[in-house]
Amino acid sequence: MGASQTRSESVYQELMDKTGFSLEQIKNLKKRFLHLSGNEETISRENLDAIPALANNPIRKQIIEAFFDKRNQRSSEVGHLEEIGFEQFVMVMSHFRPPALRTSVEEREVMRKEKLQFLFNMHDTDNDGVITLVEYRKVVEELLSKSGAIGHEAARAIADAAMLEVASTNVPDMAPDDFYEGITFEHFEQILKGLEMESRMHIRFLDVDTSTMRCGKSTS
Amino acid sequence: MELFFNPFDNLVCILLGISFTVWFTLLLVFIIVPAIFGVSFGIRRLYMKSLLKIFEWATLRIERGAKEKNHQLYKPYSNAIIAKEPTSLEEEIKEIRRSGSNRDLDSASEFEMSDIFYFARRGVESIMDDEVTKRFSAEELESWNLLTRSNYNFQYISMRLTVLWGLGLLIRYGILLPLRVTLAFTGVGLLVFLTSVIGLLPNGRIKNFLSQKVHLMCYRICVRALTAIITYHDSENKPKNGGICVANHTSPIDVIILASDGCYAMVGQIHGGLMGVIQKSMVKACPHIWFERSEVKDRHLVAKRLSDHVEDKSKLPILIFPEGTCINNTSVMMFKKGSFDIGATVYPVAIKYDPRFGDAFWNSSKFGMVNYLLRMMSSWAIVCSVWYLPPMSREEGEDAVQFANRVKAAIARQGGLVDLLWDGGLKRAKVKDTFKEEQQKLYSKMLVGTQEDRSRS
Repeated sequence: MGASQTRSESVYQELMDKTGFSLEQIKNLKKRFLHLSGNEETISRENLDAIPALANNPIRKQIIEAFFDKRNQRSSEVGHLEEIGFEQFVMVMSHFRPPALRTSVEEREVMRKEKLQFLFNMHDTDNDGVITLVEYRKVVEELLSKSGAIGHEAARAIADAAMLEVASTNVPDMAPDDFYEGITFEHFEQILKGLEMESRMHIRFLDVDTSTMRCGKSTS
Repeated sequence: MELFFNPFDNLVCILLGISFTVWFTLLLVFIIVPAIFGVSFGIRRLYMKSLLKIFEWATLRIERGAKEKNHQLYKPYSNAIIAKEPTSLEEEIKEIRRSGSNRDLDSASEFEMSDIFYFARRGVESIMDDEVTKRFSAEELESWNLLTRSNYNFQYISMRLTVLWGLGLLIRYGILLPLRVTLAFTGVGLLVFLTSVIGLLPNGRIKNFLSQKVHLMCYRICVRALTAIITYHDSENKPKNGGICVANHTSPIDVIILASDGCYAMVGQIHGGLMGVIQKSMVKACPHIWFERSEVKDRHLVAKRLSDHVEDKSKLPILIFPEGTCINNTSVMMFKKGSFDIGATVYPVAIKYDPRFGDAFWNSSKFGMVNYLLRMMSSWAIVCSVWYLPPMSREEGEDAVQFANRVKAAIARQGGLVDLLWDGGLKRAKVKDTFKEEQQKLYSKMLVGTQEDRSRS
């Protein structure tokens, strides 16, 4: 304890301030990071691709891409990274941080906006700040089965209908010949206005030392 | 020399004598005799129920204490980074939608933009921590079982709780521990003595019958020595002669738990000391398979002896723990394939300990055997469930490894344990796409109801 505790605390202090995680949570994430990267300094897309539990998620590609997207690093840069280090990993994770016991209303608003921005970036793959019909169709097709109950045409129809709904809500006096550019971030926010995100879009951390006990020789 | 006879001394002697007699009679009547006949008064279950009530009360006190100080509490039994909810896809998506729109959405049958939340969150959860759920939600505080070795919330204990804990300590170390140690010695002593006696008989039906009875009786005494409260499920699937019984391994007590309900031939290495004595006398009464240390490495020899035993239908089923080591009872690790290669029928058994009463897992790098047994004997009780699964045999075209994995999956599923099957995923590359499609199908089935009504633009 003692001296080593304060040293690791100062190393992670900056990270704690930027992301809002506690020291214990950051340590756990570090363990996880090292596990995923195979004890290397950086993680590549292949490392994340190899996670078995992620295999059955329909939007797996988008989620992995979100980790390498510069826009999720809370800077004003755009583009994609090839590999990410621990800091960037934690920054992306911080979008899913649960609100602490006492957060003010403004802080909650800020967190909410961040979460929405994260989702928006997931849809908007060409970084132009607008989700076009093509981009949205892509996401919907990923979500629905290519082979099962809903066919290609039906998936398209669903995407189109959803876009139409967004358009009619946000630009109510649009003429039938007008071309709806795409969903901007403001429109996105508007559509998901009532949604209670704080409890739906966060991951609950367990505040416990996660070292597992194993019998015999230690393995992992 | 003068003898000093103090009348007071006399009285004390008499009292001691009486209390010993009473104690031994009680012991005999309530514990040993039922063990011999395999009946139960139900005292242990009553004990378990009252313990649970006390634990609940203690937990509430701690929670109250913590709430007053507005802190988060430690949850000692989790080994995951995050807490996952065991809800289904449909339920969660309904929840998300319900919290969002004002429309009355009783059916989850329309696509909503918010549906993507669910998948995004699940995806990030998988990245953060992909050791799958524990059975009970880790958010609820596990009840404190008055054992400080398992409690991290010391600062929330009030005076009343401390008193209760002290009382518990007294009872456990002062009353329960000596009682259990006596029983343990009785059980083991009887086992050694009686099996040696039976070994003198000529081989035959009477010998087998007697040896079975003796083994059962002694193991039952040992079970009571640990105050183990065991629930056996599906006893119609109990292993039969000529088969191999396979179970997951959490502690050395597993052997006692299984052997008190049925007769098995044990497999193991010959130890020195007390264990060695027990092993040698057991093998006199009925054939167990003990290996010298040098023989253990020789796989062919091991396999040959096992298959010889299995082919002889008059011999008891073999009991094997294929994990090879003790696991902490939340997951089932890789099964070693040796026992699955033999070609006999496999009877899987799942053992699951109830963690509310104490952690039965033996961390052999942390504690030695004696230390471990003392800890077990000074806890309140050991509560576990045993499920006998239907027998399995190796199918056509299946090799030993696949068979082993199949059995392992069945055991893990029944016991609610995590099946740690993933081994780098190299072989699973093809499986990945099918899993993704399954989730897609599930989601689309949910939406497919109103497809006909949707207006096409």
